[in-house]
Amino acid sequence: MIKFIETVGRGLIRFVEEFGLVMFLFLAALVWMLRPPLRLRAVFKQMEFVGVDSLLVVILMGTFTGGVLAFQAYHGFRLFGAEGLVGSTVALGMTRELGPVLTSLMVTGRAGSAMAAELGTMRVTEQIDALYTMACNPIKYLVVPRIIAGVLMLPVLTIIADFVGIIGGYLVGVGLLEINSGIYVAKMIEIVELDDIFNGLIKSACFGLILSLVGCYKGFYTSGGAEGVGKATTQAVVVASVSIFISDYFLTAAMF
Amino acid sequence: MKRLSVEAKVGFFVVIGILILAYMSMKLGRLQYGPDERYEVYGYFDSAEGLVKGVPVQVAGVEVGRVKDITLEAGKAKVILQLDRYVEIGEDVEAVIRTKGVLGDKYVELVLGLPQAPLMKPGGRIQQTVSPTNIDTLLQQLGSIGKDIKELTGTFSGVLGGEEGKASLKIIIDNLQELAQTLNETVKRNQENINRTLDNFSFFSKDLREISGTNKEALREIVTNFREASSQLRETIIALNRITEKINSGEGTIGKLIHDEETVETMNQTLVALRDIAEKIDRGEGTIGRLVKDEETVDNLNTTLSSINEYLQKEQRFQTYIDYRGEYLLDSEEVKSYYSLRIQPKEDKYYLLGIVDDPAGKKKRTVTTTTVGGVTTTEYKEEIEKDKLKFTAQIAKRYYDLGLRGGMFESTGGVAADYYLFDDRLVLSMEAFDFDPDENPHLKFKMDYTPFQFLYLTGGFDNFISDEGKESVFVGIGLQFSDQDLKTLISGVPIPR
Repeated sequence: MIKFIETVGRGLIRFVEEFGLVMFLFLAALVWMLRPPLRLRAVFKQMEFVGVDSLLVVILMGTFTGGVLAFQAYHGFRLFGAEGLVGSTVALGMTRELGPVLTSLMVTGRAGSAMAAELGTMRVTEQIDALYTMACNPIKYLVVPRIIAGVLMLPVLTIIADFVGIIGGYLVGVGLLEINSGIYVAKMIEIVELDDIFNGLIKSACFGLILSLVGCYKGFYTSGGAEGVGKATTQAVVVASVSIFISDYFLTAAMF
Repeated sequence: MKRLSVEAKVGFFVVIGILILAYMSMKLGRLQYGPDERYEVYGYFDSAEGLVKGVPVQVAGVEVGRVKDITLEAGKAKVILQLDRYVEIGEDVEAVIRTKGVLGDKYVELVLGLPQAPLMKPGGRIQQTVSPTNIDTLLQQLGSIGKDIKELTGTFSGVLGGEEGKASLKIIIDNLQELAQTLNETVKRNQENINRTLDNFSFFSKDLREISGTNKEALREIVTNFREASSQLRETIIALNRITEKINSGEGTIGKLIHDEETVETMNQTLVALRDIAEKIDRGEGTIGRLVKDEETVDNLNTTLSSINEYLQKEQRFQTYIDYRGEYLLDSEEVKSYYSLRIQPKEDKYYLLGIVDDPAGKKKRTVTTTTVGGVTTTEYKEEIEKDKLKFTAQIAKRYYDLGLRGGMFESTGGVAADYYLFDDRLVLSMEAFDFDPDENPHLKFKMDYTPFQFLYLTGGFDNFISDEGKESVFVGIGLQFSDQDLKTLISGVPIPR
């Protein structure tokens, strides 16, 4: 019993501790972000890695998500003869929820894990310590570009995901399910508002911050050699994903 | 191929994202192109149930705007509508909250009023609103209606049901039965009457038959007469036929006439002659032909006709004026009077006849030549005849505003010019007469002003180049009546009885 409490308590303490460390890293990154010179070269490199290189997976993810959403919505709406609303359902679902969340998860899997692995390796091979000795702050040099890239690139990826998702839904709805295209588009335009898109983009920016921050944190504080790096990578993906889901709920509750 | 730089890749990527965002914003979110594109109106609804912000506002099914806001104001729903700038609605517009689609979405329909109604201004209030029909209310109403019906049937059952009801029903049925019985009896009682009537009918028809039977002879006679008449007619026709046959074969007088070659010849000749005459007339030969064909004849005829017309018109235009004018000569302090009759056959032409009473008198000069013993003495003798009348006879012609007169002026020859001004109200005249070789001619300038219809004022300078000291300025007054005026005046004078 004591042990159970001990375990829970230790876990709680560890969670609080880790949360505190993440916050510390975030604050440090903010401080260093505002301190010139900004290493634009590194920022662009990370942007390319997070954004441009994730384009293909995001497009694939978006198209098929939109398509499957159309299928499922059609299945439901057919029960009461409102197939025309499939388009608006797909568009609303993509812009408000699936676009930001799924894109973030994809990027977490692709880039978040890579960040953790990269920084973890640098940590265990003492490259970060070497940076300290060269009077080069590793937070400024390694963490800040990644966070900037995450926050800026995720909305861009999300809007692309929204777009291709709507197109995928249209292809399935009009092409396969033979819903009248005029009604499909008209209903979509009628129901979907600009706010839906923007709220999704705000959410995705938050998710970009979370995934890059968690990835960097897990990599930055890696210990225990190659095994530690592997563990950090796994944990980075899990923690970032869970954080995204949880924060998604609260962000959505707050915004809508 | 050179690899794209990192910056270019990222930039390209971001640009694509922004473009997609812009496209989707315009498509889905309907970005406003500017604050002036729309204007707001509002209306109060008893209930805005089901209405949410952003639902469309339609006119005749066309979306023209959106519901901008819904607030509660004094227990009513104040709905603010945002309409496109180009949408013109009148002040008598009616806003109706309607339902569409399976899900019961609400929207606002604007029902336009008369086209001549004044336009609604931005920020104006829509006076007529119709709130949505609540299904609950509807069901409640239906429920109350059902209750009423139930009550009604209850009343019926109360009246008709039960022992009492049954009894009253039985009474009604009994009454009905009695009525039927009475009817039956009445019919039975009247059976005889009906029978009699029918008998009468049969008698009547029998009579008719008898009449036709007894008159059969007469009818037959009529038919026979007809037959005879027709046979006689046939004989007549046969006779006629015979006559025509005779004529054809040249028998009898008429037949001979028709059949005789000579007669035909004569008739033909007559016809030829007639045709010749007609042709001649047509060609303008002979007297009648010339008459008919000659242009001059036609002209003469036309002129004659127009002259007659003119004469008739002249009669209408013919006017006569009687005129008196008195001129007070300021120098000799005497009055010179003119009485004249103006005969005006045309508007631009008149004749003036008159007498003048000149206080200066008429000068008479006699030259007596006597020869006494080779010496010739010439004796000049001038006589002035006072109170002697002078005569006037002139002819006048008018060209537009200028009139020319000529003839006898105060018993001497002369000419004059008149200038008409202000619709003939003012006339300036210059007269020249009495061209005596020994004296200067008599020149007279005068001005006539006609303020009223019959009265005119005059003034001028008489004999102003006189070498006998007779020049004089004058003022005067005149009266002029036309024959029409006189007629009116005379008929207007009351005659004492």
